[in-house]
Amino acid sequence: MKVNFWYSGSLIVSIIVAIPILTVFSSFFENTSNYFEILKNTFLIEYIINSLFLLLGVLFFTFILGIGCAYLVSFYNFPGSNFFKWALILSFAVPPYIYAYSLTAFFENYGTAFTILKSVFGDGDYNKSIPKFDGMLGAILSVSFSLFGYVYILTRASFYYQSQNLIELGKNLGFSKFKSLTSIILPSARPAIVAGLSLVAMETLSDFGTVSFFGINTLTTAIYNSWIAFDDLAFANQLSFYLLIFILALFILENFSRKKAKYHSPAKGGFKHKEKINLIGTKSFLAFLACSLVLFFSFIFPLSQMLYWTIIFPKNFFDLNTQQLFMNTILLVSLSSLVLIIFSFISNYGNRVSRSKFLNILTIFSVSGYAIPGVILAVAFITFVAWFDNEVVNFFEFKSIKKFFIGSILGLVLVYFVRFYSLACNGLRSGYEKINRSIDESAYLIGYSKLKTFLNIHVPYLRNSVLLVAILVSLEVIRELPITLILRPFNFETFATTAYIFASQDLLEAAAVPSLFLILIASFFILLTSKYILRDDNE
Amino acid sequence: MSKNYLEIKNVNFKAGGKNKVKNVSFNIENKGDIICLLGPSGVGKTTILRTIAGLEKIQSGTIKLKDNILSSAKSHVEPEDRNISLSFQENSLFPHYTIEKNIYLGTERKNLKNKKKINPKKIIKLLNIGKILDKFPHQISAGEAQRASLARSLVTQPDLLLLDEPLSNVDQSFKEEIQVQLKKILKDLKITTIVVTHDSYEAFYLGNKCGLILDEKLKQFDDPYNVYHFPNSIEVVNFLNRGILIPAKVTGENSLENIDLGIIKGNFIKHYPKGSNVQLLLQPEDLEHDDKSNLKLEVIDRKFRGTNFIYTLKTKNELHVPVFVHSHHVHQHEVDEKFGIKRPIYIDHIVCF
Repeated sequence: MKVNFWYSGSLIVSIIVAIPILTVFSSFFENTSNYFEILKNTFLIEYIINSLFLLLGVLFFTFILGIGCAYLVSFYNFPGSNFFKWALILSFAVPPYIYAYSLTAFFENYGTAFTILKSVFGDGDYNKSIPKFDGMLGAILSVSFSLFGYVYILTRASFYYQSQNLIELGKNLGFSKFKSLTSIILPSARPAIVAGLSLVAMETLSDFGTVSFFGINTLTTAIYNSWIAFDDLAFANQLSFYLLIFILALFILENFSRKKAKYHSPAKGGFKHKEKINLIGTKSFLAFLACSLVLFFSFIFPLSQMLYWTIIFPKNFFDLNTQQLFMNTILLVSLSSLVLIIFSFISNYGNRVSRSKFLNILTIFSVSGYAIPGVILAVAFITFVAWFDNEVVNFFEFKSIKKFFIGSILGLVLVYFVRFYSLACNGLRSGYEKINRSIDESAYLIGYSKLKTFLNIHVPYLRNSVLLVAILVSLEVIRELPITLILRPFNFETFATTAYIFASQDLLEAAAVPSLFLILIASFFILLTSKYILRDDNE
Repeated sequence: MSKNYLEIKNVNFKAGGKNKVKNVSFNIENKGDIICLLGPSGVGKTTILRTIAGLEKIQSGTIKLKDNILSSAKSHVEPEDRNISLSFQENSLFPHYTIEKNIYLGTERKNLKNKKKINPKKIIKLLNIGKILDKFPHQISAGEAQRASLARSLVTQPDLLLLDEPLSNVDQSFKEEIQVQLKKILKDLKITTIVVTHDSYEAFYLGNKCGLILDEKLKQFDDPYNVYHFPNSIEVVNFLNRGILIPAKVTGENSLENIDLGIIKGNFIKHYPKGSNVQLLLQPEDLEHDDKSNLKLEVIDRKFRGTNFIYTLKTKNELHVPVFVHSHHVHQHEVDEKFGIKRPIYIDHIVCF
């Protein structure tokens, strides 16, 4: 095996990404403080039960919402069906923790719902009649409305590629629409549904902002607390290890399911597009109503709540240095996207050129960083830097490197890099998979060097993939909370951290302004990517 | 200094770490010669081309071009430094460039400066792809993509051109015309070429020499006429599928006898002692139709091939013998009827195993 620039580059990238993951695993053998004993005898079981309960609740709701909407827009024509097709993905713009703020703000005592009722019906004791969505139910609803988009997008894509022949086969066998749905349509889309639900599951278990806002103790908050409150990094890592095993199992399931999905994708020949059924009358209205309600609750409701508060409390808007927050957010977005794209390119091309099995396995391992909750990654990163500083830097009597990595932009971008490497790497890889190897070889044979092939053939061809990756990374960075919260430099805030800090101080009205900006910027990025996310062809 | 233009000596061709073709040696003596490699799918023909192009490495033997070592166990010249062009069987056009840009990229090659330039327009006209120049690869048919890829390879004016099933996706009606034009241009420009194909007629037409790859070996490397008429092994006979082997006994210097067909006369290409039991190669053109003959065989199949018919006849001992008859010859025999074979049977060159 020839060791060259591309191979070495790819190897280094994969090793850097793998370090936090390995740190979590290695922590299993370290000593912990008494916190572990205390927790084991008191709340650990509750944390685990809470995590599972949240997971099951979210999976149930996202299954119903995601599949229901995907089914309606894929198989039927009704007023606004084309609009709903893309509008429903706007729910991604609202992170679960901001949804939680909106939910609380609307239904709390003397909240927005109370104000509306009062303005319509006059004074009254409405607080008793307004339902309360807090605690576990609030968390389940917040996470579900924010994440059902994963199930919706993947299931809709799968429904889209279901051939008309399959549907006609059902009719030919005399199946009713419901029977066709349960016997043909859903089983055919099973890999996509499982893939969507796996992503939802991973995100739910990683969630920190929502559960901490509602005061629900889950494994993720336990990790955060063991580090923040008890200063026990080793135990935080050990808890992470258990959660990681659980998440990796889901990740493997998701990966397995994706492979199957690929297997089931239609061949170019013989694929016949479905003709949508035109709904009329009550059915058409009900379909419209269902999609409208989902759009309303997932996007318009939180957006309106934040907008409402921003308008009625303008002081919060003027007090907030939005320009600085915007600049900080854009700085993180630009740096992260740039770093991720450059290194993902090196990694992908290194893998392609070297064809090394070892490198390929290492890359697969390193992309599992996406499955690790941000809290765990941040803690693992601090653990590793501390270890490296104590063991290696001290040994050579160099100056401490902690300040360069902890509480710095560099450290923050580095952990974003690990967290979102899978997104960037897989995004470029799927672009690369469309370039036949013989294209590279043709370039070599007309005299192109590897670098020239990379620059003149791959980069221009993959420009759409690069754009998509950049936007998706930006979207994730804008919404990201725990990593930013733990690793950001002193006095460096983003819209997400500002919203969280206000909300954690019970200043929900003040949290509305940064939340509104976050939703608007994220919506802008979603609209930019919608044509790629919802593409209906094989391009 | 070796007199060969290309010299391949004791090379094991590998793909994906596995041996595909072992211990291969052959030469191309003169610049401008065309060599065709024939063999069934998956036998390793493409691997040979890829290795010569430098896309695969070798662990033993040597590959020399114009007396320079390109590949050996110790050295490997990178593909971009070889001036060898490979036209792939699958679409290998750059997807983000138009067909015209794809073809003209071939003219950018560094070492073209000192060469007499080929006019790309001439190649484009020859391959009849003028109408698709402003299209992108995904907008054209597989056959057009193959011709565009061939055009790009030709304009690079390589020292060695490697063509992997170059016309496999081209329509039959257009194929023969392109074969003629391709051969002409390769000869005119004196471009030394190795063509991989599974079509024996294409190989026999294009090649100065043909190599047959079977069972991980180069079984025969010879003139097309010799490959067809003097196959050197039963495997080659079976691959070409243009005749059958029937049991016979050598009865003299110029004769042998088969129990169903009787005495067969002709010229042995190899000496066999009288009384030897052999397998005789009987090709469709070796037998002649003659209904007046007393040697009658039962028709079990009749294939119309335009210019000719191929009858399959059954002997008493269940041998299935092919017979070639011109289309216009009077021979309208149906299945199950009797078909006369002219006697005495005379075969110009008798091939036995």
